[in-house]
Amino acid sequence: MSHNRNSRREFLRNLACLAASGGAAAMIPQLRMMGTALAGTSSLTGYKALVCVYLAGGNDAWNMLVPFDSTRYNTYSTSRGGVYNSATNPGGLALARPAQAQITDGNDSNGSTNQYFLHPSLSDLAALYNQQKLALVVNAGTLVAPINITDYNASAANRPPQLFSHADQENLWHQANTTANSSLGWGGQCADNLQLNGANGTSNPQLSLCVSIAGANRFEVGSSVVPYQISSSGLTALRGVCNPTCNMGANNANARDAALNALLADTYANDFAGEYKNVFQRGRDLYGLLNGGLTNTTLTTTFPVTSLGAQLQMVARMIKLSKAQGYASRQIYYVRFGGFDLHSGMFSPNGTPNDHAGLLTQVDQALNAFWKAMGPTDVNAQSEVTAFTASEFARTLQSNGAGSDHGWGGVQMALGGAVNGGKLYSDGSNLKIKGFPDQAFNDGVMTFSRGQCIPGISVDQYAATLARWMDVSPGNIGTIFPNLGNFGTSNLGFV
Amino acid sequence: MTAFDRGACSSKLIALVVIAALAPAIHASVHDHLFANNFEIPADAPASTNDAARFLTQATFGPTQADINKLMAVGYNEWIDEQLGMPATVGEPTVEQVVNARITGGQTVGQSQRLNRWFWQATYAPDQLRQRMAWALSQIFVVSDQSSAINQDVVPMAAYYDLLARDAFGIYRTLLGDATYSPTMGKYLNAFRNLKPSSATSPDENYAREVMQLFSVGLIQLNLDHSPMLSAGLPIPTYDQTTITHTAKVFTGFTYSDAPQGSGPPNYTGANFLGGARTFAGEYSPMACWGTELFPASGTGSGNMKHDITGDDGTTGTPKTVLGNQTIPSNQTCTLDVSDELDIISAHQNVAPFISRQLIQRFVSSNPSPAYIQRVATVFESGTGDLGDVLKAILTDTEARTPPPLMSGDSYGKLREPILRLTAMWRAFNAKAPAADVYGEIKMLGGTNFQGSYGQGPLESPTVFNFYLPDYQQPGNNLYAPEFQITNESTTYTTANSYYNFTANAYQGMTSPPTDRPLIDLSTLTVNGGNPSAMVATINASMLYGSMSSSMQSTLSGMIQFGLNRATAQEKAWSAIYVTELSPEYTTQR
Repeated sequence: MSHNRNSRREFLRNLACLAASGGAAAMIPQLRMMGTALAGTSSLTGYKALVCVYLAGGNDAWNMLVPFDSTRYNTYSTSRGGVYNSATNPGGLALARPAQAQITDGNDSNGSTNQYFLHPSLSDLAALYNQQKLALVVNAGTLVAPINITDYNASAANRPPQLFSHADQENLWHQANTTANSSLGWGGQCADNLQLNGANGTSNPQLSLCVSIAGANRFEVGSSVVPYQISSSGLTALRGVCNPTCNMGANNANARDAALNALLADTYANDFAGEYKNVFQRGRDLYGLLNGGLTNTTLTTTFPVTSLGAQLQMVARMIKLSKAQGYASRQIYYVRFGGFDLHSGMFSPNGTPNDHAGLLTQVDQALNAFWKAMGPTDVNAQSEVTAFTASEFARTLQSNGAGSDHGWGGVQMALGGAVNGGKLYSDGSNLKIKGFPDQAFNDGVMTFSRGQCIPGISVDQYAATLARWMDVSPGNIGTIFPNLGNFGTSNLGFV
Repeated sequence: MTAFDRGACSSKLIALVVIAALAPAIHASVHDHLFANNFEIPADAPASTNDAARFLTQATFGPTQADINKLMAVGYNEWIDEQLGMPATVGEPTVEQVVNARITGGQTVGQSQRLNRWFWQATYAPDQLRQRMAWALSQIFVVSDQSSAINQDVVPMAAYYDLLARDAFGIYRTLLGDATYSPTMGKYLNAFRNLKPSSATSPDENYAREVMQLFSVGLIQLNLDHSPMLSAGLPIPTYDQTTITHTAKVFTGFTYSDAPQGSGPPNYTGANFLGGARTFAGEYSPMACWGTELFPASGTGSGNMKHDITGDDGTTGTPKTVLGNQTIPSNQTCTLDVSDELDIISAHQNVAPFISRQLIQRFVSSNPSPAYIQRVATVFESGTGDLGDVLKAILTDTEARTPPPLMSGDSYGKLREPILRLTAMWRAFNAKAPAADVYGEIKMLGGTNFQGSYGQGPLESPTVFNFYLPDYQQPGNNLYAPEFQITNESTTYTTANSYYNFTANAYQGMTSPPTDRPLIDLSTLTVNGGNPSAMVATINASMLYGSMSSSMQSTLSGMIQFGLNRATAQEKAWSAIYVTELSPEYTTQR
């Protein structure tokens, strides 16, 4: 597959290096254009990283954040079929109301409506919320424009395509717009802009501004930026050849290495062969760039031995290494944790790592470890790194007898030293939650019959707020998020 | 699957496959069949052994010399028809035997028992075409051991795969029904023990949604060539959320076939919807549905009736408006409800293009032309979803048999799946499986975690959306390239390292060979240890059906002749195989 996306910018950047070393400018008149293309270089100061924590399968977010006041708690509990009890109410999905509220919405001064509790598994994150490091974005989801049920029924154009479908809604979350056939993600497009503004600190090989610890994803795909994919266990040496360079003298590994390199240096008429070659070659280049440094980049913080723990540990190591080596001044990471499609087994009598409580425990422990790793005695980047969650949809409030089905709007979290935490963020205008739980389940306005909630705020607003924090050029925000103008505010202010 | 008369199909095929360039040959092949012998070359024989190997790369887990010879002798149609007629090689009996022996011997039991058998079957089963089709179907009708709902169900998962193999050449509707009633599918997508609506709950929607989105019709209305139908320039959804909620009511009342149904009328004492699974057969036999056929709505024991129908427990059965706004009446038996629903789904115009396109992607090319899809979908429709006919149409189509000339910008073909790159290497070099251990198990895995290293493993997809999506595109490219979704800077390395394990560390004649994986036979290469170009020619014919570029040939020859000039003949041989396995040319199927 022919990739030309980097050509012009890389050409300009390479020429910039040439120019710096003295000489090329006079030879090539077009170099004057370079000033434009690299104009933003000085606009990015310091280091910042975004970490997308994708909760795959559709996290039942209405059990992550629960209102404490009795009016809204009862609304919640009734809509979820009562408090789960393995013996007496095995189909109930509500959490028991604790003795006292756990968190207060700092955006709401009214003591009768500002009390909440988080899922009991999220004890560490509740503490971070109370330290103002964690913010909750409430009833966010995919939207074309703000709507209620009347608008929804009036025209298909008023609602996003393929609601309730995992893959489609995940793509829309990754895009932060509702164009079904886009292939670009908002993270990747932010990286395009940041790259143009000089976020890359190295070249040849150049570490992509987007790094995935969880394989292919649309979120990090830009017009020019292609995510670099690394495993949570780090880099593996390629067997039977040299890693990355051969020892002196002829040996058999050298011979295989030379042959492999020759095959990867060839050009291929077939697109599949050519693209495979590109991917493999990029793997080899970046192994050479990263391996030595990554091996020696260790953390003092202990991470839980879970999939998400290992992924976030690798992100922390990569951030530490990238900062030390000056690979880039802006980075975007992607991790992914699955198992949330809990049509059944949302609760279990004795608890398992795979029920909702078990999954949220893993989220809590991994994010808490990540926060600690960013602390002053380890990576020391707490206010430079913002982690945020995303999930294709929340779920039906109503039970199916064992779990919940595909819903729509839900609750997301943002964590970091730069986050204006200890607060709930809703549609940004009236500081009240638009939709559930402030409005009743099955109210005919914002929730459907099974308790699928129409979002009060859009993914676009959520993402644009994060993009702005990353210093994406203000003029570019509207291009990356074309529907942003349909919504009340483009900056929710949580970071 | 039902008994399937291949002979009757052949005559139908003659009419159907006229579209293909091979059509004139088919008559000859069928009519001359009785008189065929080794001295006559069938009219539709491959033009060369390379053509034969190329066909077998598409249709099997990799060409062997024996299969190439056979195909050359009988021609494409005869070879396919023979394969279509072969009974399924199945895995469940062996897996069950091994599992029982291990339990008796105090050993742990896990998915590796199923996976060892899977790789053995893929590599050695004679019904290669059927096994490949089962593999393709397992990537559409997905169940996965990555789900805790079925991860412990080692034997039932083997039985599920057998179901796919048995139904591989049957009628699509049969496959859809068998998959729907499989308890493994039921548990994976929650139709199992799904309950009719109550005052507080609605039925689980998972199976209702995925059976339509992934196993049959997809999200938008399609033309026969798989292009979207448009209304005012926009795609038309096949169903909406209301359809899902209604369809969910159809898939209620399922439980294990051996769940105790009680003492019968009038009291049904001892009935236990949550019971069953007392034997392996109970765990994998088609689910029972507790509708009126078991518990009449008016009977004393009707509280046991779990299907959506009026019961004397106060719920009211409801008519269901399902796909295409068709109605399933209220108060039918469960069997009839499900049968109506699956008939409606199967009859939808989308099924033929939706399934045909994905099968083409698994066997031939990632970006089939609309005309190719339409030709195959036409066969699908005229044979009412005869999957054997469909596969034959896929493999004998001009677009499969005659690739365009290779020139810059070529987008024909596909990335070979990493597992198929392994099995093809094994088959090319007559890999010999180790002897069965004391529990009767033949070890094939070499300690490999396939899902982790390759991004794919048999019935191991991370989600019901398979290892990759049919519409996956590489960044910056508008070609479909599903297999690239699991091909990245990390997996190219982990996959390669696994190939190293299966070549450098697994050949016959090595010192202290491992006993947990097949050992390849290097003799067809080492015989030419002193003749690099002959060695490369063998690699080219065995692994690349003669398509290796001259540049790659000289690279490999140079490696053998100069870089490895002091290496043993065996190291020269496995090095050539290993580097080829990593090469862009071997990784691509054209």
